[in-house]
Amino acid sequence: MKARTFLGFQRPDGTVGTRNHVLILSVGHLTGPAARRAARGLPFAKLVSMPYAGGLFGEDRAVQMRSAVGFCCNPNVGAAVIVGADGPKLEELARDIRARGREVVTICLDDCGHDGLVLSDRLFREAARLQQRISRQRRTPSPLSKLFVGVECGRSDPTSGIVSNPLIGRVADTILDAGGSVVFGETLEWLGAEELLSARAASKEVGQSLLRAVLRREHVAATHGVDLTGNNPNPTNVAAGLTTIEEKSIGSIAKSGSRPIDGVLGIGDRIDAPGLYAMDAPCFTPESLSGFVASGAQLLLFSTGPGNSYVSRLAPTIKLSANPVASRTLTEQLDFDACAVFEGVQTISRSAEALVELAIDVASGSLTWGEIVDEGDEVVSRVGEAL
Amino acid sequence: MNRCHLVPDAPPADRADALLLNPSDDVAMALRAIAPGERCKVQAEGEIRFVQVNEAIPFGHKFSVHAISEGSVIRKYGTDIGAAREPIAPGAHVHTHNLVSLRGRR
Repeated sequence: MKARTFLGFQRPDGTVGTRNHVLILSVGHLTGPAARRAARGLPFAKLVSMPYAGGLFGEDRAVQMRSAVGFCCNPNVGAAVIVGADGPKLEELARDIRARGREVVTICLDDCGHDGLVLSDRLFREAARLQQRISRQRRTPSPLSKLFVGVECGRSDPTSGIVSNPLIGRVADTILDAGGSVVFGETLEWLGAEELLSARAASKEVGQSLLRAVLRREHVAATHGVDLTGNNPNPTNVAAGLTTIEEKSIGSIAKSGSRPIDGVLGIGDRIDAPGLYAMDAPCFTPESLSGFVASGAQLLLFSTGPGNSYVSRLAPTIKLSANPVASRTLTEQLDFDACAVFEGVQTISRSAEALVELAIDVASGSLTWGEIVDEGDEVVSRVGEAL
Repeated sequence: MNRCHLVPDAPPADRADALLLNPSDDVAMALRAIAPGERCKVQAEGEIRFVQVNEAIPFGHKFSVHAISEGSVIRKYGTDIGAAREPIAPGAHVHTHNLVSLRGRR
């Protein structure tokens, strides 16, 4: 059989975009409003605002910095402009981005006489020129090995664990078998399923990292006296019939498919080889998706039970549900309807094949509902206190 | 894409009322809203079981398929999902009032 391909944008570092965005990245919210002013007039540009910048240190600063670099180097970004008020930080980011073979333009508030209007004018013209330039790029056939897919669930119900997540798991297996990459996260939702995950670790070290990550987060909940029931599973999950984190986790990890787990990533860590990765990160959907996107994921698969409209701004996010009510009512949110599997009128294998086809279509340019209605954003986790 | 117009309260007539995901499980998942007193058809691996349900079970929620003693581990997907906070009769709603997580505690 002829190897399957998608149509993507070739990048100088060898990655392939499923989109060709101009990214306007504001690092630190001193430039957020000026960036927003410029972006309002540029309908094709994608604004990502990282509000925090001053007083960061340690791992918290590292997460912010590698996320900023990761967004600019995401394969879906054809050109990036970073604005900020901290010149040396912008230089550090630009150096790291260029070291990865990608281009970036920086505009510092210092060089605009600390006038937000000057900054937004410069940004507007710069982003407009970049948009015109990258619009000349064309999609070319690319092997599925170039796909890096993030898998997520949000506002789960019991249909997620028995249909939608296993479906995503099958797509994950297909991508991995084609030589591509997959990342799953939401560490707390490994809790109760960690033995199943560590048994799939490609090495002893990876298995130990998985267990350590779960136990660390469980310890955080326990030492702060957080009762997980009502928190995760959250009130929506509980109303839908999920009772304990153990129950939710078993359903949740089905998204990771069945292949060996090659590594454990920190938030926004870049992957150095194709494979299946677990990202040790918060469960909250916006943070989780942005971690994947900063790592380089250029396509996301997202299951929900009763519905969840949130998507990534930079990576097309395919929404699916097997909940019959959601599939009937959320007609401009759900990109894929898995309720035929839940209702027992379609096999999971056939549905998984249809989901692979949709993933290839979307990777090649078909729009998701989230893109059409412009629901997306990026939110970078804070993992520490600022000075 | 074919859209599905079935609602949980009106499944196909030949459909089971609940799913037992693993033969070793203590709880089944309701595929539709179940009323107290209904005799439910539970689809298990390769067999159909019948359970008299004694409480209202909302769509997606769990009920016990046999008696569960206080403190014993409760299984779904063939895996432990917590423990019984109190004795649970067969056909009872199993949720946050009588099933407690064993994780995230000091």
